[in-house]
Amino acid sequence: MSFASHIPGIVGVVNAMLRVATPILLAGLGALLSERAGVINLGLEGMMLSSALAGVVVSAYTGSALLGLLGAMTVGALLGAVLHGAVHILNTDLILSGVALNLAASAGTVMCLYWLTGEKGISSSLSSKVLPTIAIPLVRDIPLIGPVLSGRNVMTYVAFFAVPAVSMMMANTTFGLRLRAAGQDPASTAIAGVRVARIRLAALVLSGMFAGMAGAYLSMGYVSWFGANMSGGRGFIAIAAEVMGGGTAYGTGVAALVLGGAEALAVTVQSYGAPSELIQAVPYIVPVVALALYARQRQRRTAAQ
Amino acid sequence: MRKALYKRGARLCLILLVIAVVLWPVVASLDDPRGAFFTFVLGPFNDMRHFGNVLEATIPLLFTGLAVVIMFKAGAFNLGAEGAFFLGGVVATAVLLKLPLAGPLLPVVAIVAGGVIGASVCVVPAWLKASVGASELVCSLMLNYAALFIGLYIVNYHLRDPNAGAMLSYRIPLDGKLPRILAGTRVHLGLVIGLLGCALGAVYLYKTRWGYESRLVGSNPLFARHVGVRTVLVGLIAPCVGGFIAAAGGAVEIEGMYSRFSWTDLPGLGWNGLVVAILANNNPAFVPVAAVFLAYLEVGGDLLAQNFAVPAEVVGVIKALIILFSTMSIAVGNPRIKQLLVRVMPGARKLNTEVEP
Repeated sequence: MSFASHIPGIVGVVNAMLRVATPILLAGLGALLSERAGVINLGLEGMMLSSALAGVVVSAYTGSALLGLLGAMTVGALLGAVLHGAVHILNTDLILSGVALNLAASAGTVMCLYWLTGEKGISSSLSSKVLPTIAIPLVRDIPLIGPVLSGRNVMTYVAFFAVPAVSMMMANTTFGLRLRAAGQDPASTAIAGVRVARIRLAALVLSGMFAGMAGAYLSMGYVSWFGANMSGGRGFIAIAAEVMGGGTAYGTGVAALVLGGAEALAVTVQSYGAPSELIQAVPYIVPVVALALYARQRQRRTAAQ
Repeated sequence: MRKALYKRGARLCLILLVIAVVLWPVVASLDDPRGAFFTFVLGPFNDMRHFGNVLEATIPLLFTGLAVVIMFKAGAFNLGAEGAFFLGGVVATAVLLKLPLAGPLLPVVAIVAGGVIGASVCVVPAWLKASVGASELVCSLMLNYAALFIGLYIVNYHLRDPNAGAMLSYRIPLDGKLPRILAGTRVHLGLVIGLLGCALGAVYLYKTRWGYESRLVGSNPLFARHVGVRTVLVGLIAPCVGGFIAAAGGAVEIEGMYSRFSWTDLPGLGWNGLVVAILANNNPAFVPVAAVFLAYLEVGGDLLAQNFAVPAEVVGVIKALIILFSTMSIAVGNPRIKQLLVRVMPGARKLNTEVEP
């Protein structure tokens, strides 16, 4: 077969990759912001889930997808503030609080959905809106890359434009510098007169907003409904993507694409008859292998110095 | 001693308060709030069958709770108990169905095989951490889901009964089942195994050299290394032991409660083990008490959901808040809160700034 006959298939795989990578990248940037500020946000999973529900509910009641997105981001930000409050005011353990947030979100979303609609597990009676896809004039007519670059969901564009934005914010702004300082050496940062707790609060709130965008994409773009536990470990994958990316925004972007590509490729292989369960395991095994390779490389580098 | 009692009492009150705060709006919104309240609080005790349900739900929590305690005590932030439990159940089912063995040896072999293979979910992240320094926490979280899907693959492609309709395995042979030990209920021998495990766990942690070393590493790794404890080895052993216990718990659960393997998702019992460990203050001796308490809440929630228009998930929210509020060290962190507390209840002054182990 000639190369040309494969093009629709390749475009399909690339599109699937972008689709899968979008929530991982958005949440991964959230993981990045909190991690660099010195707080591992294990609650990303729960934040995504809660904001996925918030997006569906708000957009169904207001009839506006944009308000749904804002609602989702607000819920994410609030949960970020709650996590900060738990850790800094109640003095709880950061990781266990994240786990608690996930448990609460998993149960709480089902309860909220039940109270609002009387349904358990899926929001089929809510006529929620979806976030639009964007067709870019001119670009969409370019052969080969046109169908890939144009016509994606708006959140996919947001996610990929957020990568340079976050990177620049981290490198070139006072806030970014303070955020990194708070993560690297909180004691010295505090001595230098920066309020570490506040920086971390801001980082967790921002992290929650990114998780909110990821959640909104899940329930208002990836699919058009909310289902119980629909985040399905993507928050954890996002954390893995951030670690794989070496703590940089661009690295996280590449890692999200690799993980998205692994899943997209796996789905394609599945249509040729490979066992679907093993395929579903791939996106969870790839980060482990990548983390191990990355850590080994880092270990060798430090050993060589 | 009095301070410890005071602390424990304060904690218990706090947990009861959490339950009340979560339950109040749920119950108050119903037509029959009194009935709902009594269903939740007394329902689990009002007949033998429901009390049996509590003990049945306790059994897996004994294993996962103990597993988490043993790993956390050694300072291993390993969240693989969930996947280990699931994989242990799958492997035990496979052994029960495929191994041409009869008699009382069969369930024992299945538990050991399930325990050893299921433990990999906890051991691989620990090994990756020890060998290359990869994050144990993140790897164990990932492997939970990997274990889920690999387990589902094994069930669907190798153990599935095509005549059963849904995704169920073949019937588990009678020889492979654990005997029931309480008439009128489904409480099985796993209860005894779990309690024995907790007793052994307490002995291991507090009376053996290995346990002492692992507690030392957990509380102060630098000091432990300084006095010559092989911290890397200890960091590997705790997840091996903990993973084995969690996975053996999955095997016991299948042998005791199921006639076919029927899980299609992670059962959440590993996360519950975390709640148990926290409630038990990371002490194996308290694991049974904490496990019964959590099982009681679960059964109460189920009864509430069966009889009233309330989703059983209400217990999930309670569990989350229990984690949050029992890990907080009241007032110790924030001086402003401490002042406030001292003003409200003078006894709080006695809470010093000790960090919880």
